[in-house]
Amino acid sequence: MVEENVKNLREGPMGWVKFYRKGIGYFAFAMHRFSGLVIVFYLYLHLFVLSHLLVGKASYNSLVTSVTYGPFDSFLVLDVLLALVIFYHGANGTRLALNELGIGLHKNKVMFYVFEVIAMILLGIFLYYAYMFLGAS
Amino acid sequence: MEELVVEVTRTDEKGNPKLQSFNVPKDKVSTVLEALLYIKENIDPSLSFRYSCRMEICGSCGMEIDGKPHMACSTTTESLKGDKIKVAPLKHYNVIRDLAVDIDGFFDKYKAVKPYIIRDDENVKYESELLQTPAQFDEFIDYSLCIKCGLCMAACPIEGSDSDYLGPAPLAAIWRYVADNRDQGAKYRLEIASGPEGTSRCHFVGECTEVCPKGVDPSYAIQKLRGSMVKYEFQSLFRRH
Repeated sequence: MVEENVKNLREGPMGWVKFYRKGIGYFAFAMHRFSGLVIVFYLYLHLFVLSHLLVGKASYNSLVTSVTYGPFDSFLVLDVLLALVIFYHGANGTRLALNELGIGLHKNKVMFYVFEVIAMILLGIFLYYAYMFLGAS
Repeated sequence: MEELVVEVTRTDEKGNPKLQSFNVPKDKVSTVLEALLYIKENIDPSLSFRYSCRMEICGSCGMEIDGKPHMACSTTTESLKGDKIKVAPLKHYNVIRDLAVDIDGFFDKYKAVKPYIIRDDENVKYESELLQTPAQFDEFIDYSLCIKCGLCMAACPIEGSDSDYLGPAPLAAIWRYVADNRDQGAKYRLEIASGPEGTSRCHFVGECTEVCPKGVDPSYAIQKLRGSMVKYEFQSLFRRH
């Protein structure tokens, strides 16, 4: 074997997003990581926005009003996507926690679909009430 | 005669990957290994790949076929859709040449988990075999079917991003011996499995189980192992050292 000709085919984290011919477990894993990153990013963004309260009411109001215009602004779309990500992550996380306890190990695919369907129904209810609240205000 | 295009990822003289296509006769019964052997015997004798038993026992001919790890000897060309198949070396291994990969790293990890029966009374001579009930036998038999082909290591995305992670096959081997009532080496193995590169790195993707040609189900074994580890760690709190 010629040592300098040895090439490693380790894909690294980029391999996480290659779904081609992979099972539903792979999709669940990749989306769990992606949604986790989105939630962490949102957490810091949220803290950044709230930190303007330290400066004063005017500073905070100025920042918030500069990115939101009316009930159908672009940030509302991002809020809906954020809710989607959180509901997905929560449902899949619950499934994984049950797996850790030894529940449903051989019914993983079914559990994934059941939990995600429940999560999407809950998301729909959440969005409905959020829309009603928005309409009321 | 109908033909099949086999696109092989080979290595050039500098060790870099390059694609090369070959036309081979197509039929309903030939395997991918037979297609590669046809290329080697009739078109390009320099094509390198590893194989031995041709019947999914030796675990030598693992390779990536159409983007997924398979045994070349048990994958028929008919089972793959289309008139073109892509064959590449297994991911997460060092490529020696063409489709032959270096499996030393995998075997080092496998050996590290002590894949053999350990007894506290090693020097005692038994007058008969250590008997087991069918139920005790059923606890581990599925996991003893592993042929060490390493497909699960190539399919695992965690293995692909962390070379220190033990990986599905070695962890399933730990469970195979922990579940065996003749074995008394759980204390050594659970120590390895509970380490930073053990079961805690598994994210239960399940691809290892999807690709296993022998139905070993490493992802299930890893979760069972986790349960045993929790029990072991809890008991160790009350154990006298």
